[in-house]
Amino acid sequence: MDEPPDEVRNWLCSFVYNDRSIAYVKIDDRLLVAGKGGRVEHYGLSSLRIGEPVAGQLAFIEGLLPYTDLPFHIPMVELPNGRVTDLHFFSDNACIWLLFLDATAEHNNKQRIQQKAYETTLLREREHQLNEQLESANEALRKSQEGLSREYQRSESLLLNILPASIAERLKTQEQIADNHAEVSVLFADIVRFTEKARSVGAETTLAILNSFFKAADLLSEVHGCEKIKTIGDCVMVVAGLPLSRPGHADALAQFALELRQAGADENFGGEPLKLRIGIHSGPIVAGVIGKRRFAYDLWGDTVNLAARIQTSAEPDEIRISDATHKLFGQEFACDLIPEMELRGAGRVQMWRLIA
Amino acid sequence: MLQKKICMLGGFAVGKTSLVRRFVQSIFSETYLTTVGVKIDKKSVVLSDKTVDLILWDLAGEDDIGSFRLSYVRGATGLVLVADGTRAATLTVALTLRERTEAEFGAMPFVLLLNKSDLADQWTISDDAINEMRQSGYQIYLTSALSGESVDDAFIQLASLVSK
Repeated sequence: MDEPPDEVRNWLCSFVYNDRSIAYVKIDDRLLVAGKGGRVEHYGLSSLRIGEPVAGQLAFIEGLLPYTDLPFHIPMVELPNGRVTDLHFFSDNACIWLLFLDATAEHNNKQRIQQKAYETTLLREREHQLNEQLESANEALRKSQEGLSREYQRSESLLLNILPASIAERLKTQEQIADNHAEVSVLFADIVRFTEKARSVGAETTLAILNSFFKAADLLSEVHGCEKIKTIGDCVMVVAGLPLSRPGHADALAQFALELRQAGADENFGGEPLKLRIGIHSGPIVAGVIGKRRFAYDLWGDTVNLAARIQTSAEPDEIRISDATHKLFGQEFACDLIPEMELRGAGRVQMWRLIA
Repeated sequence: MLQKKICMLGGFAVGKTSLVRRFVQSIFSETYLTTVGVKIDKKSVVLSDKTVDLILWDLAGEDDIGSFRLSYVRGATGLVLVADGTRAATLTVALTLRERTEAEFGAMPFVLLLNKSDLADQWTISDDAINEMRQSGYQIYLTSALSGESVDDAFIQLASLVSK
């Protein structure tokens, strides 16, 4: 490239001088400030002392000198007074020249553009992050909903195990359940000489016997449309005609009793068949759910009490039914009349022995 | 007079300028102002046996590591690596910048600052990751330029590392 003519060079020089505020600092080989010139005040260099070490006077020089690989350029250095300068290092006759060229305008321009760009990127990053959080929150919500519905199904099936389905359904919407039933049949059955035998066969066998006895009661209840209300020790309480009233509840419970007795006879409890003592009575009762956290569906009334009394009065292997139940039979059952006898709390009672 | 050049390295908007302002002037501004080029600050740190002047080079953070100007690091004796604890990717940026300076100028002491610890609910760097780095010898500080938490500790630690 041809050298520009002097006019152009002079113009260029004064243009750069005015527009970019040229200043210089000269540093000698002992790293002392050897001279300064140009618009030193523009860069806050007026107080720079000639003949003294540059270190301590120019903070940014730390670590950079002595430096052999010159020229060297550090762009856009913001000085303590707020000016931004490009720093050019070059050497001449064992001296280092430090040239200051103002870059404030360029800096500010670049800063405006970069500010916009970074703010946009930050916003986008944040949006991305929030979306991810939203997604993971949704996922967690979905999982907990699944867990909840599993729990609900579990408690639902537990409730159904404890309570008749129609009662369980009502319990979910109602505070209290207490129903009068004009006529149902109630059965009690327990195992003859249970306590004594349990002691001789041990806990494990006893539990196995109880389990198969109650399972048989559950199964037969389902077969005959009865409800097992509860077990008390070795005693089971079953009702027919509940929670929905039905005809033939006495027949159903009698059939239930006969089959339960047979199920017992097929079991082996301590070397002999499992013998039951069964009692049935029919009449009005009150049924309801008591308890707040642990529900119990139970029956109350004289009918229940008398059914229990009849059961305890029965002989081993005997199904003893009240006259009221006997009168309700629609089917043919073989029954023997038992001589009228006194039952505690009930006076003289007419009862029958159900045979087959 | 003991003077040491220290470079602040990290991605953009992680809080390098804010940490320097907190350390040097004890102030904090919520307004984000991006740094272009470099801003140089000076702060004397009094150690038990000496006083050292830290010349802090607050370098512009880049979103593109490729455009980082290594020439700014020339003459530095220590690094303050800064990552934004609410943006896990900035940790990689800080560590990569260190690798690049080490390849050019050799190993030098550094501290790693996981900044914005005040934004606990947006934090994305796991304790496990932090512990793992600590076990491999990194000196890590969970800092907040907003509250000032651990800021002085981190700079003073680096000052003592570079003036050994």
